[in-house]
Amino acid sequence: MGRRSPPHLHGGCSVLPRAPNSEAVVSKKLTIFLPLAGAAVLAAAALADSLPPDATYRPLPTLPLDVVKANDEAQKPQVMERQRAVLEQRYDLSDHPIPNVMMSGGRKPVQGGVRVKLPAGVSWDSLSSMTPDEIRERGLLPAGFMPLPHVKQATGGQVFPNNQIDEINRQEGRNIRRFDVDFDLPDRFTPEFPPPIFLTSHPELGDVSHGQLLTIKNYYQLMVGILTPVQMEGLRLLLTPFPQEEFNQTEDRKSADQSLGVTCLDCHANFHTNAAFHQTPDVRPQAARFRLDTVSLRGLFNQQIHGSKRSLRSVEDFTQFEQRTAYFNGDHVSAQRKGVNLPDRFDQVPMMAQMQNVIDFPPAPKLDPSGRLDPSKATQQELAGERVFLGKGRCAACHVPQTSFMDNNMHDLKLERFYDIGQTVNALVMLPDGPIKTFTLRGIKDSPPYMHDGRLPTLADTVEFFNLVLGLKLTQDEKDSLVAYMLTL
Amino acid sequence: MIRLPAVTLLTVLLMPALVVPALAQPSNPAGPAPGNPAGLAPGTRESAPGVPASRQTNVPDRTFTREAAIGGAAEVDLAWLATQKASSRPVQEFAQQMIQDHGGANDRLSALAQADGIRLPAGLDAEHAAMRRQLEQANGTEFDRAYIQGQIIDHQKAAQLLEYEIGSGENAELKNFASDILPVVLRHLRMAQAVAAGLYGAAETSPRPQEQQKQ
Ligand code: HEC
Ligand code: HEC
Repeated sequence: MGRRSPPHLHGGCSVLPRAPNSEAVVSKKLTIFLPLAGAAVLAAAALADSLPPDATYRPLPTLPLDVVKANDEAQKPQVMERQRAVLEQRYDLSDHPIPNVMMSGGRKPVQGGVRVKLPAGVSWDSLSSMTPDEIRERGLLPAGFMPLPHVKQATGGQVFPNNQIDEINRQEGRNIRRFDVDFDLPDRFTPEFPPPIFLTSHPELGDVSHGQLLTIKNYYQLMVGILTPVQMEGLRLLLTPFPQEEFNQTEDRKSADQSLGVTCLDCHANFHTNAAFHQTPDVRPQAARFRLDTVSLRGLFNQQIHGSKRSLRSVEDFTQFEQRTAYFNGDHVSAQRKGVNLPDRFDQVPMMAQMQNVIDFPPAPKLDPSGRLDPSKATQQELAGERVFLGKGRCAACHVPQTSFMDNNMHDLKLERFYDIGQTVNALVMLPDGPIKTFTLRGIKDSPPYMHDGRLPTLADTVEFFNLVLGLKLTQDEKDSLVAYMLTL
Repeated sequence: MIRLPAVTLLTVLLMPALVVPALAQPSNPAGPAPGNPAGLAPGTRESAPGVPASRQTNVPDRTFTREAAIGGAAEVDLAWLATQKASSRPVQEFAQQMIQDHGGANDRLSALAQADGIRLPAGLDAEHAAMRRQLEQANGTEFDRAYIQGQIIDHQKAAQLLEYEIGSGENAELKNFASDILPVVLRHLRMAQAVAAGLYGAAETSPRPQEQQKQ
């Protein structure tokens, strides 16, 4: 480690040298110096006075459910209005579909254009010619690039889109509507519903969903003769509701009635996603828990790390833990009280995992077996996009075409270079994202909104995002071609 | 707005980059976001259903205020000690900055506490008193390191505590206070980490004979 210039404190920290490895260095050196400096004693003493326990553990409700419900319902209009204002300030959510581009089921148009709003006085080009420091110092990072809050951060929990709520109610008579919040994004920025289902075991069949949403009521009739007995049992379990933090039988719930709970595919609708959102189970306290947009389970068979932060190493691990973590916010203590389901690791979990592992990406007719465009099928613009993707755009460094456009790694994009951390937006504290798993780009046009928290409405937004974050200085033509290329994946 | 002493305000004005985004546009234009009504204590006075009347406090508000006041007072106290004892310039400057920033924040917090009828403890708590005793015995580089290491831990805890209040408190003024202060505390944390990196980095390239011996 080299010598660092002394920081100019009065000039403020914006001029502090960024010392990426400083923490590592400090801790290494500390082990040497602490005992000498008497700081070991200090550290121990400091730990003695701990933070409040409910900064980690969920407190029990203090009011009867009817009072909580009345309060929540009374607050709901303001809650939704606050979030609407956040979205309005960040994005243009009007209806501008890309002509002739539909999601894989052929029923829902893909929205186009950059929807993240620019701050006054800058253009995307002028922004990308500034340094991260300059953008941070002048407060110019577009708000839409920053973490997206949950509709009601302090309460948090799972929120389903209306199409899912209505269909589950119609088929099962099960209520997954909350009395305190509604889904916040316009329907045009969520995936096609119900999404098509493609099986690795039956590529010749194409979409096997019959245009229906898989539920406990119809799965047998839809899938018998197509799946194996083991897969059928896995599917049944994935469609069986179990109690959850906000949907259960206790007074600590957000459904009006004593709820049977939630199923895996209530979020991963037809093994894809319906953009239901949640908060990360992996962070505390509550104000710092970032939003999570449901990921698609398509192509899970090729993924080696699971969860944007947890990096669990098998579908089995994730499946077993999902009912504790997604269902119960990473709080096994709370789960115990509401009736946690612990699927048997040897008999049930593998069946659930094997079912998930036969879900394929949608077909990409323009890609060859190595994930490259077939020049005889692709347009000039798509081919130009692929060149940018592999070359100047450096996208392929992480989204490797040959391995389903992933690298099975997590990366820290260090967005906090561009803004002052610690600001509160609708009760979410904006903090560095840290390392996040590289998502696949196969079938990407089917899964808006984008990024782990759904902060970007369109693919054009992701191009502007990476253009800035990676300092690429792409031209407008290059950006457009990248979008055209991603639509072929 | 955070009430900061004149010097800091000047710094703020001169360096719009630093603090202005956090301070100029209030982070919570419409007041803090609603909490989880399930957490309201029975008997809470309400201005609207589920909205605590102004100046109500819940247990997290009071826990936060107490802890933040203890931490803030210790911050200034130890910083004064550091201005007398620190041997390196960056540590001196850091301590000055703490006196200015935390002084202002402490005033704002005690005004809020008084208005909300929360009694604040006087003097240093046991943890910080112990820290002070240790620091009083340390000298030179040893002091600088111990002080700055304590600062890193205190600011880490302060950041988590402020986030706790933002998520769990119900008193609008206290939550706004926490939202306003958090970016500043995180900035201090980065400063303390950079100062520490400088201290240890410098020692690594040119260890003083005494320390070499100790190693
Ligand atoms: C509230 C909606 C929701 C429910 C219900 C849900 N999930 Fe998820 N699932 C998510 C979200 C959000 C993620 C992304 C998690 C993350 O990034 O940490 C995810 C991630 C996953 C992943 C990892 C995908 C990958 O490779 O990163 C698997 C596997 C998974 N879920 C399976 C399940 C199973 C099995 C169940 C039922 C036990 C389930 N999910 C229930 C929302 C949900
Ligand atoms: C350093 C590795 C890296 C590079 C280079 C990279 N990405 Fe990514 N990409 C990621 C990670 C990590 C995420 C998830 C980030 C998040 O959710 O916060 C991601 C997410 C995305 C998403 C959203 C996926 C989804 O399911 O929501 C798109 C689209 C995308 N990248 C496109 C690109 C394009 C286009 C480029 C090149 C211009 C690019 N990426 C370059 C790592 C990378």
